[in-house]
Amino acid sequence: MHFIWISVVKDLRRWRSEPLTLAIWLAIPLILGVLMNVVFGGSGNPAPRGVLLIADEDNTFASKIVAGVFRRDPLDKMLVLERVRREEGRRRIDRGEASAFLVIPAGFAQAVNRGGPFRVQLFTNPSQTILPKVIEDTVSITLDMFGTRRASGAGGPSIGLETTVIPEKKRTKSFAALFFPSMLCMAVWMIANALSGEIWKERALGALRRLAAMPVRMAGFLVGKLVSVALLFAGIAGAGLAAVRWLGGVPVASLPAAILWLMLAGVAFYLLLLLVSMSASTPRGGNMLGNIVMFPLALVGGCFFPFEIMPAWMAAVGRLTPTGWAVSQFSAILDGSVQTAGLTAALAGLVAMSALAFTVTLVRLRRSFLI
Amino acid sequence: MMALLIPTAAPLVRNPADSSPRVNKSTEASVPWFQMIEVDQLRKTYGDLIAVDGVSFTARPGEIFGLLGPNGAGKTTTIGCISGLLEPTAGRVRVMGHDVVREGMAARRALGVVPQEIALYEELSAIDNLKYWGGAQGLRNPLLGARIQTVLDLTGLADRAREPVKRFSGGMKRRLNFACGIVHQPQVLLLDEPTVGVDPQSRMRLLELVRAEAQAGTCVLYTTHYMEEAETLCDRLAIVDRGKVIAAGTLAELRSMLEQRDLLRLAGVFQPAAARAAVAPIDRIEVLQAEENLLVLSLVEASRKLPAIFAALEAAGCEVRGTTLTQPSLESLFIKLTGKELRE
Repeated sequence: MHFIWISVVKDLRRWRSEPLTLAIWLAIPLILGVLMNVVFGGSGNPAPRGVLLIADEDNTFASKIVAGVFRRDPLDKMLVLERVRREEGRRRIDRGEASAFLVIPAGFAQAVNRGGPFRVQLFTNPSQTILPKVIEDTVSITLDMFGTRRASGAGGPSIGLETTVIPEKKRTKSFAALFFPSMLCMAVWMIANALSGEIWKERALGALRRLAAMPVRMAGFLVGKLVSVALLFAGIAGAGLAAVRWLGGVPVASLPAAILWLMLAGVAFYLLLLLVSMSASTPRGGNMLGNIVMFPLALVGGCFFPFEIMPAWMAAVGRLTPTGWAVSQFSAILDGSVQTAGLTAALAGLVAMSALAFTVTLVRLRRSFLI
Repeated sequence: MMALLIPTAAPLVRNPADSSPRVNKSTEASVPWFQMIEVDQLRKTYGDLIAVDGVSFTARPGEIFGLLGPNGAGKTTTIGCISGLLEPTAGRVRVMGHDVVREGMAARRALGVVPQEIALYEELSAIDNLKYWGGAQGLRNPLLGARIQTVLDLTGLADRAREPVKRFSGGMKRRLNFACGIVHQPQVLLLDEPTVGVDPQSRMRLLELVRAEAQAGTCVLYTTHYMEEAETLCDRLAIVDRGKVIAAGTLAELRSMLEQRDLLRLAGVFQPAAARAAVAPIDRIEVLQAEENLLVLSLVEASRKLPAIFAALEAAGCEVRGTTLTQPSLESLFIKLTGKELRE
C-alpha cells in the first residue's frame, strides 16, 4: 500500500509540475465546443430564440395572417419561422428540433367565413417552457381575432386550437446539454491517450528497470498509475460538471454518479490505450497505435459530435463502440434517465473490462516491456 | 587464469563516522559474509545470441569487485541477472544467500542498483526522487528523511535539493542517480558504468563515494570499460569479453600475468608478415597485433630495445611514424588476452 501511495504522489507531482501539457488536452475539446457553440448554437442575443415550424396547407389570406403574426416585433426577434410540409414538421418536432409545430389544415379560410367548426393543430416541445407557451397564446389570440373561441370546453361553432405536447422522450436538449457530455468525454479520452504514452518515457529513462530491481511488485506500480489517473479524471469530471451545472445551466441528475462513471470509464480507456501503446515496439509506434485507436473510437463514439446530430446508422454503430457506450451512459446519468440497477450493471461491466485489461497489461509489462 | 570462487576471510569494515543503522540487518546475520554475491556458471542467451557464457565470481562485504570489458561484453546483462531484471538461461545467482530467481524479493531487499541510464524523474526535485526511490525500497519517515539529508550532503546536492532535476548538469544527475541507489543503505551495491559521460570532477567525486560505500561494509559490483577506473578503484576484478570471463583476480595478480612486460604501439606503414618476421629474433618479444598501419608488441624492457626494433623494421621495409610505450596495465593484459584493444 505504501508503494502504491508514493507512486500516486509521484505521478500527481509530475503532472502538477507540467500543467501546460494537461491544459492543452483539456483545451482542445473546449475550443472545439466553443467553436461549435458559436457556429451552431449561440446567437449572441440574450432573448430566447426558437424555431416555429408552420405547415400552411390552406395557403390563403386568412392562414397567412396567422403566420404573419410571428413576423411582427417582438415575436420576430424570438422566433425563426420555417415553412414545412406536415410530415417533415412532425418528424422535426419529434426530434426536438423546434419549439413548436403549427398545422393550418386546408379549409381554414372557409371555416373562418362560415364561422367554424375547425381545428388548428399545435405541437409543442416539452423541453422548452417559455417559447411554446408564447406561441400557443399568440395563436389563440389570433384565432380569437377571427371572432372565434377556443375549442376546448366550448360548444357551438368555433375555430379551435388543439395543442399537443409531444412525448417527453423526444424532448430537445439545449446546445450545451447536447455537446457537454461529448466534450468532457473527449477531454478525458485525449488525456488518457496522452498519459498512456508516458510509460515509454519511464521505460526510456530506465525507471522501470530500476524499479524491477527493487523489492516491489509491478502490480503495485500499475495500480499506483491507475489511482493517480482516476484522481485526475475525478477532478476534471467534478470541475467540469460543476461548471456546466452552475454556470451553463445544464442539468446534472446525479453529480456523484456522473463523476464516478467518467472516472471509471476514463481509467478503463486509459488501460486500453496503455495496452495498445505497449503493444508497439517503439514509442513512436505506440503513439501512432494509440491515436489510431483513440480518434476513430472518439469520432464514431459520440465524442466529437453527439449521437443526436449524427445520421441514424452512424449513431447506431457508434453506440456499440466502447466509447459510444460510455458516452451514452454518461449522458443518461446526466439527464437522469438511467435506473440504479442499470447503472450498477454498467459499472460492474466497466470494472470487469478494466480488470481484464489490467491483467493483460501487467503480463505484457512484466514479460517483455521492461527489458 | 586466476582461480575464482575462493572465499577469503576478511573483516567486515565499517566507516566509524557512519553510525546510522543498516536498513536490512535481518538477513545479514544469517548469511555467511563471504557470499554476498555468488554468480555460478551464469549463462544468458537471446535466441542464437550468447550474451553471457558461463560467468562465475563471488564478491565479499567491503569489497569493490570490478567487471571490466568493452561495450557488448555482457557486463550489463550480468548485472541484469543479478538484480532480477533478467532471468538466467542457466547457472545460478545468489545475493546474500538468496537465489535471485526463486527468492527474488528477498534478494532485491539487499540490493541497491545504480543503472547506466540516469533513471530519474526530471520533472521532480532531487528530494522527491529520493523520496520515491527510497520509499520503493521500503524506507519510511523519519529514517527516510534522515537518509535523504545524508545522501544529499554526501553527493553535494543539498543546496539544489528542491530544484527540478531537469535543471541539473549531467554530473549532478549522475550523482543523484548514485544517491538514489544508496539512499536505503544497501548491503550489495550494483553500479553499471556510473561515470559514463561525466566531467572529471564529478567522476572523482563519484569514485570517492563508491570507496566510501565499500569502506562502510557494502559489497560493490562495479562495471566499467575505463581501465584507469578499474585499476584505481577495484580490489578484485574480472575481465570479460564476448560474454566470458577471460581473466580474474586482484590487480597485482592480473599484472603478474603480464610478467612486467611493456606494451609498445608503433604506428606507420607495415607489411604485417614482414614486420612479424623482422622483430621475431629480438629477445622475449611477442607480437600482439600486426596490421598495415599498427604494430603492437609486448616485451620486457622495451625502452632499451627500441633501437634494435626500429632497425629491424626499417630493414624489412616498414616505416615507423609514431611510438607509444605503455607500462604493464590492464589494457596490456586485455590486448594480450584478446588481441584487440579495449575501446569504448
